[in-house]
Amino acid sequence: METVDTIVAVGTPNGESALALVRASGPACESLAREIFSRSGSLQPRHAYHGSYRSAAGTVMDDVVYCLYQGPKSFTGEDTLEITCHGNPLIASGILTDLIARGCRQSEPGEFSRRAFLNGRMDLTQAEAVMELIQARSDKAIQAAHNQLRGAFGRQLGILKERMLANVATIEAYIDFPEEDLPEEQKEAYVTGIQELMTFCSRLIDSSQYAAFLRDGVKTLILGEPNAGKSSLLNLLLGFERAIVSEQPGTTRDFLRERIILGPHSIQLLDTAGLREAESDIEQEGIRKTIELAEEADIFLLVRDTALPSPELPEAIASKLSAANCIVLRNKVDLGVSDPGPNPVAGAKSIEFSALTGHGLEALRAALLEMIDARFSTDDDDLILVNARHGVALNELRDCLQSALKKLEDDEAMELVASDLRGAMDAIGSILGRIDNEDMLDVLFSSFCIGK
Amino acid sequence: MEVRGDAYDVIVCGAGHAGCEAALAAARMGARTLVLSGNIDTIAAMSCNPAIGGVAKGQIVREIDALGGEMALTTDVSGIQFRLLNASKGPAVQSPRAQCDKKVYALRMKHVLEHQENLDVFQATVTGLIFKGDSVVGCHTNLDVDFHGKTVIITTGTFLRGLMHIGKNKNEGGRMGDYSAKTLSNSFLEAGIELERLKTGTPPRLLGRSIDFSQLEEQKGDADPTLFAFYDTRDESDMFHVEHHGETFAGWRPGSDPVSCWITYTTEKTSEIVLKNLHLSAMYGGEIEGAGPRYCPSIEDKFVRFEGRPRHMLFIEPEGRNTNEYYINGLSTSLPFSAQKEMIASIPGLENAHLLRPAYAVEYDFAPPTQIFPHLESKKVENLFFAGQINGTSGYEEAACQGLVAGVNAALKVRGDAPFVLKRYDGYTGVLIDDLVTKGTQEPYRMFTSRAEYRLLFNHGSSELRLLDYARKYGLLSESRLRRIERKKEQIESSVAWVESNRVGEQTWATLVRRNDWDGSLPEGIESLPDAVKAEALYRVRYDGYLKRELRQVEKLNNVEGIQVPKGFDFLTVTGLKKECALKLNEMGPANLGQASRVSGVNPADISILMVALNNS
Repeated sequence: METVDTIVAVGTPNGESALALVRASGPACESLAREIFSRSGSLQPRHAYHGSYRSAAGTVMDDVVYCLYQGPKSFTGEDTLEITCHGNPLIASGILTDLIARGCRQSEPGEFSRRAFLNGRMDLTQAEAVMELIQARSDKAIQAAHNQLRGAFGRQLGILKERMLANVATIEAYIDFPEEDLPEEQKEAYVTGIQELMTFCSRLIDSSQYAAFLRDGVKTLILGEPNAGKSSLLNLLLGFERAIVSEQPGTTRDFLRERIILGPHSIQLLDTAGLREAESDIEQEGIRKTIELAEEADIFLLVRDTALPSPELPEAIASKLSAANCIVLRNKVDLGVSDPGPNPVAGAKSIEFSALTGHGLEALRAALLEMIDARFSTDDDDLILVNARHGVALNELRDCLQSALKKLEDDEAMELVASDLRGAMDAIGSILGRIDNEDMLDVLFSSFCIGK
Repeated sequence: MEVRGDAYDVIVCGAGHAGCEAALAAARMGARTLVLSGNIDTIAAMSCNPAIGGVAKGQIVREIDALGGEMALTTDVSGIQFRLLNASKGPAVQSPRAQCDKKVYALRMKHVLEHQENLDVFQATVTGLIFKGDSVVGCHTNLDVDFHGKTVIITTGTFLRGLMHIGKNKNEGGRMGDYSAKTLSNSFLEAGIELERLKTGTPPRLLGRSIDFSQLEEQKGDADPTLFAFYDTRDESDMFHVEHHGETFAGWRPGSDPVSCWITYTTEKTSEIVLKNLHLSAMYGGEIEGAGPRYCPSIEDKFVRFEGRPRHMLFIEPEGRNTNEYYINGLSTSLPFSAQKEMIASIPGLENAHLLRPAYAVEYDFAPPTQIFPHLESKKVENLFFAGQINGTSGYEEAACQGLVAGVNAALKVRGDAPFVLKRYDGYTGVLIDDLVTKGTQEPYRMFTSRAEYRLLFNHGSSELRLLDYARKYGLLSESRLRRIERKKEQIESSVAWVESNRVGEQTWATLVRRNDWDGSLPEGIESLPDAVKAEALYRVRYDGYLKRELRQVEKLNNVEGIQVPKGFDFLTVTGLKKECALKLNEMGPANLGQASRVSGVNPADISILMVALNNS
């Protein structure tokens, strides 16, 4: 009856633990497993496999153990996929988010149990227990959501909802009451209104730790001259050999993305090509890409070879660096050169470092942690959006608004614009609770004199 | 007391817009039907504005036509001006509207009733119901004649303890010049059916020759009138039940010889007069307890709520071809007569206007509709059906579509067949009934397109196609019309398939059609299709993505909609369900889980629990 969609949830309690379990149930499980773990050969049910979880964006998220159960011989009676990852909540949430991005739906409280019951995997005597369980889970979920919505996030969403209602009410007034003596319809006002809503919505998404930390991680760019030791730093941070390291300058021509977890934060490390007067086209291309990447980066690690004089940074990059977002690593102190020289970024923290011996690694970690805390934990620290479902809803909201805006710009029928905005209202409603049409009508009748 | 003959299958109490459709639907399904009216001269009277249709309402009228009702044909016959509203907006929200000749409308409907097989019309006021156990079995009338019926449909409009207000002046009655049904309410209370009060109002009527039209702005009808009934799927025998034997009923061809409406505005002076007399208004003077509609405020409301805006638009609408009476749309009020006169004189063009009938507010009993099932039968009293304003709605169209559904269901009940329940995605009629029975209403309920979450599926031209399965299942249309609709549907579907699959250069025709800057023409085979077929086919192609999105939502809804709640199910017995939620559900008594999910305060986890519980029980 309702096996049309595949549902997912983190099956273990939130918090640090050795392992965490992400579960999916529904028809897409087998194809998901094949896609995520690039498995084309046999995939034996009830058999544990070891694999690298690769996100839809191509990033390796974790080393995991996964196991496929074929319906009806599974807990829910449907195909089920269980993924056991490392116990960091960020990893589990990351995997959950990725599965949602691949078309799964976050399960409702108790939905796994409900499916199990409806598919005949539990006998009637267990039904009451299931219902109690659903209620208990739901209470917890409501409590958790309530706690989140009590803060600034909830207030901001409330404002968003009010503005949304005002826009929708205006559009609906012109659709439902063409005979009324309303002021002339201002489509430009809708464009402005929706743009405002989008800005607001984007700000909510951006200011949320969810977006920055769970989806992408803090973007940290490793910069430096060729052969300054950027790749060695990356490897050191990762704890294993990942980047191709060589004595030859200019080995890293493309970018390497890796994710590390530092304290509560997820960090995306980007290793770049060395910055210098490029001799070959390939290297020039690499530097161009580095500049492009610098546009989006949150934090910079500038690696210097203390044995060499400080080189000139390209203006496009130098202008991005500041004491607030850059840490300078004076690498290769193991070679015995300790002259700090002039700091290439005024006021930036400068650390003596050896990528070879690991000297300064702790100082780097501490400095990074301090910097991320300062940059991303906003003063009103309740602007937190840790719930993957909220993230999905906000992205849905932004997509709907985008679509409505496009329709307005293309001068399409207002009923289509209204249809998109209804989708947007549903998205807000999925966080704040269903928005009844009566709420919209209240706004409509209080804003316009309707009365033929 | 005298008892007339054998029991009827269906007795309809009231012959307004709901009552007429109810009586006709039941009789046409073969049920022996009686319709009672306190005054058969006022059958199908248009008590308020002389118009049918408008946004969302126009779509409802076409749905009525698709289900074999009579409102569309009667509107076409009696229409004296036709306009398609929202013509500049998208096809889904375009709505036909017609000014009607009130007398012709009422007379034709009466004539249709008179000619209907299986239907008796009788003039008597229903004074009470006859119960047997938990069922209704008939009614008493003011003539001391009782009627026995297997089912009874209540369509009392504003007549239940109707009380009209003009300032401090009060008159009993449901409409000026008519009586009030005073004792019937007691029967409902006795049966445990709760009643509450609502209020509505109607503006003054003026004598045309006393209006200075030279000062007014003229509003003409469309040169190419959009009629309400579907003629492309009708044979001659389906056309006019009454008049196909002879000439046109009204003396003119539907859509011909349109008349104009006129526009004027209130002034600063009007505002002053109204505000000065506010304490004398029945609404503001505390005379009225019932809640009035937000969308149809009195002129008092307009000046009070939108202070500083003295200019409000008024439409001067003719009440018919053979009368000089005009309806002042927008000037509803419960101010005393003297203030009304002063107010009217302050409006350009109406300075010397003669008042034929004053404006008044009317209060009446309604039975909060959460007390009925989606097939409009009472939850408390078996075989008792409710339709129209008694359910808290407003408007001729809203009443008529409920009447039709109640009539069909009464006939089905007599046969012992399963009820006819329209879903939210079937059309506006489905939305209306679902809203009423799951949420109730705080004001006279009027349909708006924004109430429908599947609005794009409800374009007025698609009514017959959407409702075809019901019309066939319940035998609401003639065989020949059903066949024609089927053929039309096939033609539309094959045209859509053709446009989607055939290419012009690199792209399909469909891609081209979906470009909003495209205004070329399609190949001959498509261009030469009947207008209605072509319009619907291109609509489906152009809105393909949107229609699919709405259909996906419908499918989701259908999943829960399909899980029935047994009659009399006690939600308090469900383990795990919160008590407040269970009480609310017990009060609302949803028929299925879809309805339960729309009850305010019910969350998805509750629905999960109910899925398990209902599977279990």
